Amino acid sequence: MADDLNRIRNILDSHRRQLLARANVVATGIGYKQTGGAKTETLCIVCSVKKKVPASQLSSQDLVPAAVDGSATDVVQTGVIRALQAPTDRFRPAPGGVSVGHVAITAGTLGCWVTKNGQKVILSNNHVLANSNDAEIGDAILQPGPYDGGGFPQDHIANLTQFVPISFQGETSDCQFANAVVSIFNLGCRIIGSSTRYKATNIQAQENRVDAAIATPLNADDVKDEILNIGPIAGTVSGELGMAIKKSGRTTGFTTGEIQQVDVTANVQYGAGQIAVFTDQLLAGAMSQGGDSGSAVVDDNNRLTGLLFAGSDTTTIINRIENVFSALGVSL
Amino acid sequence: MKAIALTILLITPYLALGDDSPMSASIQEVKKQHEARFLDLPGVVSVGIGLDPKGNQAIIVGLEAPNPEIEAKIPKVLAGFPVIIRIIGSLKAQ
Repeated sequence: MADDLNRIRNILDSHRRQLLARANVVATGIGYKQTGGAKTETLCIVCSVKKKVPASQLSSQDLVPAAVDGSATDVVQTGVIRALQAPTDRFRPAPGGVSVGHVAITAGTLGCWVTKNGQKVILSNNHVLANSNDAEIGDAILQPGPYDGGGFPQDHIANLTQFVPISFQGETSDCQFANAVVSIFNLGCRIIGSSTRYKATNIQAQENRVDAAIATPLNADDVKDEILNIGPIAGTVSGELGMAIKKSGRTTGFTTGEIQQVDVTANVQYGAGQIAVFTDQLLAGAMSQGGDSGSAVVDDNNRLTGLLFAGSDTTTIINRIENVFSALGVSL
Repeated sequence: MKAIALTILLITPYLALGDDSPMSASIQEVKKQHEARFLDLPGVVSVGIGLDPKGNQAIIVGLEAPNPEIEAKIPKVLAGFPVIIRIIGSLKAQ
């Protein structure tokens, strides 16, 4: 047996090139010949092909011969062989669907590339690129995100350009009237010698429509204007009840689902007990987990319909892309 | 036969109209009118528009976990539109 293996190894060494040159052959190796789906005892040269084609459709120079220098051959269909790269890896250029994040967060997903003032920029969530409002314009964005080993400056891919602030419940109010009333109360407290002070807060916070932000790449060569495992985006489409959708994200990769609810108002938890109310959302079944935030959601025809940002074990919540585009002033 | 079935289908929402909604209220209007009070109930995390098992438009109320006491406070029908409760867990930014 070992003799057989060495003999075939030598034959393969001298014929590898000419076998790989034949149409459809993507790999060569040594294995047991399969006949009628069953493994035999015969060692042979195995040629893996993209697609098995009847011998009659191949020219003689593309046909894998039944034997090479006395070694039997076998042809096995494996499809195209691609390098497997995880979405948590470093990508340059970087497509949508891979890990990204503000320097101060864990990691989220680079949704896709969109256009702002004629320039391609990264689209993702505020809580991915702008640390849930706690960021400055110009902050460094890393690909992969810090949790996936992304470090500054070696993985610095872009700078935060713009984010739509998220309004949380119970936040200090920015309502001028409320703050004016409160200052009068506090003045009153001072006059009567009380140490009590009041603060205006949003009990019913302003409603949010999007959790969105953009970041400008340092180098235009780092832009790969497509989504990992999905391909290029073919326009936009408004999300509708029953629409089949798919996404490619940092944690769960490529997943599919269906829009089960529209006009959704939802209370969404952000980290340290903060809650934000979102209106006009799309809701789908389980198709994401932590780290998938920021994923671009497309329909069956690869038209962009939403920006994924939240969910539970059974549910996924998605911003409508039309709301995202108008809030940020971006287009495809 | 088909025409009769269609007529019944068309008038059903009106037959079941609640007391507080005009005949013409769309499901979007009805949902908007009631969602704040649903979302104020403990454990209610979402209100949206979807389909009931028969394929009719329905108002869907999402709960963090089963809670008979809260579920009892949510009507089965609002202005002729079915109201369905789904247990969806707590929604977190991902």
